[in-house]
Amino acid sequence: MHIAEGFLPPAHAVAWGVASAPFVVHGARSLTREVREHPESTLLLGASGAFTFVLSALKLPSVTGSCSHPTGTGLGAILFRPPVMAVLGTITLLFQALLLAHGGLTTLGANVFSMAIVGPWAGYGIYRLLRRFDVPLMVAVFFAAFVADLSTYCVTSVQLALAFPDPSSGFLGALGKFASIFAVTQIPLAVSEGLLTVLVMRLLVQSSQGELTRLGVLFAKKAASTEAVAR
Amino acid sequence: MLPIDAAAHSSRWRRRHPVDKAVLGLGLTVLAISLPPWPGAALVLLTAVAVLLGPAGVPGRRLWRAYRVPLGFCVTGAATLLVQVGGPDGFVTLAGDGPVRAGELLLRTSAASLGVLLFAFTTPMSDLLPRLVKAGVPAPVVDVALVTYRMSFLLLDSMRRIREAQAARLGHTTRAASWRSLAGLGATAFVRAFDRATRLQAGLAGRGYDGTLRVLVPEARISVRFTAASAALLATLAALTLVLERPLT
Repeated sequence: MHIAEGFLPPAHAVAWGVASAPFVVHGARSLTREVREHPESTLLLGASGAFTFVLSALKLPSVTGSCSHPTGTGLGAILFRPPVMAVLGTITLLFQALLLAHGGLTTLGANVFSMAIVGPWAGYGIYRLLRRFDVPLMVAVFFAAFVADLSTYCVTSVQLALAFPDPSSGFLGALGKFASIFAVTQIPLAVSEGLLTVLVMRLLVQSSQGELTRLGVLFAKKAASTEAVAR
Repeated sequence: MLPIDAAAHSSRWRRRHPVDKAVLGLGLTVLAISLPPWPGAALVLLTAVAVLLGPAGVPGRRLWRAYRVPLGFCVTGAATLLVQVGGPDGFVTLAGDGPVRAGELLLRTSAASLGVLLFAFTTPMSDLLPRLVKAGVPAPVVDVALVTYRMSFLLLDSMRRIREAQAARLGHTTRAASWRSLAGLGATAFVRAFDRATRLQAGLAGRGYDGTLRVLVPEARISVRFTAASAALLATLAALTLVLERPLT
């Protein structure tokens, strides 16, 4: 899902970089403030970044028999919040571009916009909305991961359609072309990522209540432990 | 350690300042996307391969292993340009200029990828990250990136061992078992990452940690000769493209 190096024309690469910049700068300011107030957070945030990087290296079984990897943006947004994910996502995408040759530096802005900004915000928005209506935690987690994954691909389709409009039908034709190609592979993958995220979160609720409470995923201690025990 | 970073640590240009390599590698990438794909990107591609295999001394097999990843994405992406949607001949038909557009895109992305690979194969991340502070990136963000970088290898190693243990316990024999194993792997990564961070924090607190991670960065100076030669090479490529564009098009 990463847009490869050199795939976007220079004007598009710059434009997506400019669009991403305010979110990343805001995230970097939040992170800097957090680290200055609580120096010990550096290590926890670094651990969160490493977790995000490693999560994207997991091979996810696909219904077609092949495998892909999760974006991790939904789980990351629930655990660390979207502003922090904008920074952690940018760091992860930079590492993927330089250490794994996934994505690229000229397409970093576009990839950050889809994977570190829109994906986390869309996933987190759905998660908070469902939790506000007292939807069970695991259902909210599933939809957060599903929506984060799918919205990432929708934005990528828009980015590609803008860069490569169809010769006959223009932007809309190209959007249909890219979105339909992604839909065939990505809807099953988004479901798979949703299910995997639920399984991971169930294990975390059982084994890491302290960390989840500290991260604000399980709010009131009493309610959290009740919910964890019930599961 | 990941193969590209491992190669960077033993690179011939390991001791060169990252700015030297950025001017050349990232300069080639910028040229690849800015110049007309034919003959500009083709010239950049040939130059990047020559520099990678020649002066930079990157082993051909390692380069191919790294290069085939972006190449796969490029081919898949370029294939979509071969068809068009709508039009008088049918809903989905072959685009008239599709092969040309796909070929140009393939050239551009291949050349741009090789430029970044030239930088990545010669510059270890541990040399690059601490120097980002001088480039204006806030120090706390660089510190977080450094911890992320160093912890990633440990976590990836842990994941590999856990996966082997799961496989030895028939954890991947059925689809259901694979999902359970995968979920266990993700959750264990989280638990281990936070556990390691807590222990690191305790260790650093005992050593008077004040919120700044001080690391030794190998000393290197920006080479004026190397940077000037790189700039001259880039200028020559740009000039050659402009000269050859009309006769070759």
